[in-house]
Amino acid sequence: MLTLRERIILPSQRLTGAIKMVVRIRVRNAETGATVDMELELENTVEEIIEGVSAFWEKDPGAYVIRKGRRLLRGQQKVQELDIQANEELELIPDPEGGNR
Amino acid sequence: MGPIRPGERDEDRHDRTKLITWVDIERVRSAKVLVVGAGALGNEAVKNLVLFGFRQVDVMDMDSVVRSNLSRCVLFREGDQRSGKGKASLVAERARELDPEARVEAMEEKVQSLEPADMDRYDVILGCLDNVAARLHLNANSYHARVPYVDGGTRGFRGRVQAVVPPLTPCLQCGMNRSHFKVMERRFSCTGQDTVFYQPKMAAEITTTSVIAAVQVREAVKILSGRTAIAHVMHYDGLAGTSEVLALDIDPGCPNHSAGRLS
Repeated sequence: MLTLRERIILPSQRLTGAIKMVVRIRVRNAETGATVDMELELENTVEEIIEGVSAFWEKDPGAYVIRKGRRLLRGQQKVQELDIQANEELELIPDPEGGNR
Repeated sequence: MGPIRPGERDEDRHDRTKLITWVDIERVRSAKVLVVGAGALGNEAVKNLVLFGFRQVDVMDMDSVVRSNLSRCVLFREGDQRSGKGKASLVAERARELDPEARVEAMEEKVQSLEPADMDRYDVILGCLDNVAARLHLNANSYHARVPYVDGGTRGFRGRVQAVVPPLTPCLQCGMNRSHFKVMERRFSCTGQDTVFYQPKMAAEITTTSVIAAVQVREAVKILSGRTAIAHVMHYDGLAGTSEVLALDIDPGCPNHSAGRLS
């Protein structure tokens, strides 16, 4: 059973000894309502957030997107481009790709 | 003008639709629509198009019916799985029964056979597909031909609709990320000896299928009637009973918007 509000640190952050600016955000799982806190560097991308929380929640294989308020974030966008505030909440939502079978 | 008769208006098939003042019913009647995919979403979309008053609909699918389709496909019948007919032919045949004045034609081909020149023949294209690769092909070609493309997708009780109106809006690819491409790669996995075509069985049911296909057709009607389409992606959560339209930016790195193509 996963504990809510655990903290995710992306692999890239574990390898560096340099002091970098880190922003803490919260990601909500749209399917379960669970949340998890993430520490991100400004260079991290939305795709890395998706992969980090998908692995943490052991999501089924499939396409996912991240929303910030009423806006969908593009995968290649970096944290520094997102105008994101500390402790701001993003949401992971499935991007349904079925419909013909 | 000749004399009117009691009950005359009830003889007009589209009388009630004509009461919606913004719907350009003549444009709807004259528009040519391509529906790619004649499965769950395609069945609902074609049914809605014909009932709405569309008269020229092409349906593309190269697949045939299996019995598990029957829980979500209003135009298929028990026994169709043994008929030897393709999904597209069956959808076209049954849709013509709904409105004999509608010209619904089947195209039993792969979506990859479509090129930009083929798209020019259509006023709007509906994507009723089940995989990322086919969506990307349809998205790129319709964007290049500047034909509006309305894509639908479902997974269980969740669904999405995106209206792409070139050159004004972001396209489907603008909203995709590595998770989409991983899904696509899994479909065409290479074992080292051969390429294996992996067809995942996705959760699907009729209520979400109906909602998503209905929104697709409504967006087509809005675009053809000169109204602004949703901007840009509608996400539907059937269990929560909610839907939200979320904005998306054009991806400057998307090949459909890069220099040399449309901006």
